[in-house]
Amino acid sequence: MIIVNGKEFPWEEGMTVRRLLELKKYIYPRITVKINGQIVNEEEYDTKVINDGDNVQCIHLMAGG
Amino acid sequence: MKVLKKDPEKCIACHACEETCSKLYFKEENPDKACLRIKETDSHPEIITCTQCGECIDICPVIAITRDKNGIVRIDQKKCVGCFMCVGFCPELAMFMHDDYIEPFKCVSCGQCVKVCPTGAIYISEE
Amino acid sequence: MILNEYKYELGTIERGYNNRSLYINLSDNTIKEKEVTQFMKDKFIGGKGFGLWYLWNAVTPETKWNDPENEIVIAHGPIAGITQYPGSGKSLVVTLSPLTHMPMDSNVGGYFGPYLKFSGFDALELQGKAEKDVIIFIDGNRGIVQIMESDVEEKDSHLLSEILTDRFAKNEEDKKNVSVVSTGSAADNTLIGLLNFSFYDIRRKAVRLKQAGRGGIGTVFRDKKIKALVVRFEGTKGNLNNPADQGKINKAGIKLHREICLLDDKQNRMRKIGTANIIEIMDQYDLLPTHNYKFGSHKDTYKISSDKFQARVTQGLPDGCWYGCSLSCAKAADDFIPETGPYKGQKVIVDGPEYENAAALGSNIGVFDRDAVLELNFYCDTYGIDTISFGTLTAFIMECYENGILDKEKTGGLELYFGNKEAALELIHQMARGEGFGKIAGLGIRRMKKIFIEEYGADADFLNDIGMEQKGLEYSEYLSKESLAQQGGYGLTNKGPQHDEAWLIFMDMVNNQIPTFEDKAEALHYFPMFRTWFGLMGLCKLPWNDIVPEDNKYTDEPAKIPEHVQNYVDLFNGITGKNIDKHELIRQSERVYNFQRIFNIRMGYGKRIHDRTPYRSMGPVTEEEYLSRQERYDNQLKELVGIDPEGMTTKEKIAALRKYREDQYEKLTDAVYQRRGWTMDGVPTIKKLKELDMDIPELIEVVEQHL
Repeated sequence: MIIVNGKEFPWEEGMTVRRLLELKKYIYPRITVKINGQIVNEEEYDTKVINDGDNVQCIHLMAGG
Repeated sequence: MKVLKKDPEKCIACHACEETCSKLYFKEENPDKACLRIKETDSHPEIITCTQCGECIDICPVIAITRDKNGIVRIDQKKCVGCFMCVGFCPELAMFMHDDYIEPFKCVSCGQCVKVCPTGAIYISEE
Repeated sequence: MILNEYKYELGTIERGYNNRSLYINLSDNTIKEKEVTQFMKDKFIGGKGFGLWYLWNAVTPETKWNDPENEIVIAHGPIAGITQYPGSGKSLVVTLSPLTHMPMDSNVGGYFGPYLKFSGFDALELQGKAEKDVIIFIDGNRGIVQIMESDVEEKDSHLLSEILTDRFAKNEEDKKNVSVVSTGSAADNTLIGLLNFSFYDIRRKAVRLKQAGRGGIGTVFRDKKIKALVVRFEGTKGNLNNPADQGKINKAGIKLHREICLLDDKQNRMRKIGTANIIEIMDQYDLLPTHNYKFGSHKDTYKISSDKFQARVTQGLPDGCWYGCSLSCAKAADDFIPETGPYKGQKVIVDGPEYENAAALGSNIGVFDRDAVLELNFYCDTYGIDTISFGTLTAFIMECYENGILDKEKTGGLELYFGNKEAALELIHQMARGEGFGKIAGLGIRRMKKIFIEEYGADADFLNDIGMEQKGLEYSEYLSKESLAQQGGYGLTNKGPQHDEAWLIFMDMVNNQIPTFEDKAEALHYFPMFRTWFGLMGLCKLPWNDIVPEDNKYTDEPAKIPEHVQNYVDLFNGITGKNIDKHELIRQSERVYNFQRIFNIRMGYGKRIHDRTPYRSMGPVTEEEYLSRQERYDNQLKELVGIDPEGMTTKEKIAALRKYREDQYEKLTDAVYQRRGWTMDGVPTIKKLKELDMDIPELIEVVEQHL
């Protein structure tokens, strides 16, 4: 289990940031991803692996219409 | 079409080109008012010049920027409303402005700077 | 025929102000100048602040929207008219709304505001009613204001603005110096009329329109028998505001131009597609209003997604609604050929598509058809109808129709079920002609509810649950069910459920950044105040956060876009020569925001009871809605409410969830009122007014009656 935006979310072996965004259907183009408080750069989304128990934040930066 | 070209390897950053240009344009020797710029870096200097690519033509909201019959991109100062979008959108960062003026200015390939360059780091090329 | 002419001395703008405004009374054709005082500048700054202050002085608590003393005030603001910073050409229009009976304010682009300013006026006040249709002309170069009888036959904005631009411009080259404010034929027959502000598109060689859409301002305009306002000003330059520090403004502007140049394609594609970029995103996050806000997504959304619209936006060159807007969200579909109505078969330009229009005229009424959305968009604009109110009220009608509250007999033959584009188009044509069911629909949801209950025997509770209006104004196009903060963002507002005060859905629902009531209340204090500021200055909201600096994510408060906030501080100081900081910026807004709240109270509204919202904005009203998201709601019952849904009927589950959610909204309201310095009944306290230097006797007098 990991924490995504303050809520529990099932973890899977080898889960990358890209995979998590897909599972969460987070398609918004301006998302800042932090793992345990550390910002992950977009170039690392395919390679950065999320570990079981990590606290992940996917901050959508949008203040709307 | 005449275009001001550059060979930064040869540049010795004497800034004679900038002084000549600003004197011609604005009657004062002030590199901040030149239509080309020599930027000193850790290695050889960087020369910033207009390639006459014309990207700014479509950016201008009042069609104050056009290409003349010789292919040179020129600003009609009377039409210009001073928004400086062209400054922000120039791919070469070669559209310049100065707070003393409300319109931007740019190189029109007049070639006066070339005459004072001691090393041939800038030259006029027929494209 | 000229009814009155007034000559005035041309002046120069000093640090963003002309220090005078123009007053016109159409009952007796008075035209005069008024001084803009230091008091006004200190307390109300400009723009919507000036509009509200003039309106406050013009009306009494008894004034109705169609009384002659009601005014339409158009004002820009001290920053408006600069050309260096994107989004700096906005006008703010204020009037007593026929929908809400309270002050309405609407923020609109086009060249009218800046040209009014360059012509010498910080605001234009329109009071009284003309006997016959009039055109008001301001010649900003010769110093002449004229009221003339209208001889123009055309009734719709796309023609009116073109004819008047042609007439008042000296030649083709001069057309860009003319701006026209007009509305269309439906503003005569509905309460949802809007105003179109024009600008001349020199590349298309055509007149384009931007809309002051919300709250029926166009209806008031026609009630005063104004056909059009026209301003002409030749000689726009980048320094006409005579700012204290032009360099400061240039620097901020060029920095943002560069940011947009490098980052817009990677971020929101505003230059390519404009606000429509979020259609499919809203669908994916279950936030796109579908079938009268029942659902947040639909399998056919791909048919109205942004790429479908982009394919129809033919110019390929980004364009802005005022000089220097490199964000350039303004879009147009050229050579569009309507299939219905009086302009059937003619080639027209459709201004848009905006996100709001695609949602209001598309998914919310079940029309997943790009060209139908464009046709409805075209007719809304030229007939002078607010697309948001039209979409939301049509969605309400369609749900009523599908529930048997309405039928073919009551609608005069219109089969108004979800997705019936022909019926929706006919409804809009009826509004323009002032006929049939269109006349009833044009009254807005609040009045329709009354009619359906009283005359058709509809269930009042059900209509109040599904009718997406509050304070009399129709909701704008976001689903707020899963975001308590956004329910407050819609409900705890001054003019009605409009997301221009706060859009917190992602911060709240997706990011979970504001989990506690106090967090949400802080957001519902800061963002409405910050966004109010745009309306005081004559600025657009979009360049604040629809583009962000590359390093924004590393800042302490990314949602506020700290670098851009500093840009705004620099712009204000650069113009006025003052030295405000980001905290004083918020205080400037707070003064006007609290003033507007007190204005509402003075008109008999503006209290807690008026901040309640329809349950459709908070949660599932019907079994169909509940069952469509059953897993989500069942889980919430378990985890949030602490009830085991096992064995409960859907009806019971809906009721339990509702009790919980309504209670949450009340708690949120408490927290927000407290943060804003209001009583638990929503009244600004005297202490708060003193803190803001707004303890003006006439304001104290109003609030004292409610403390």
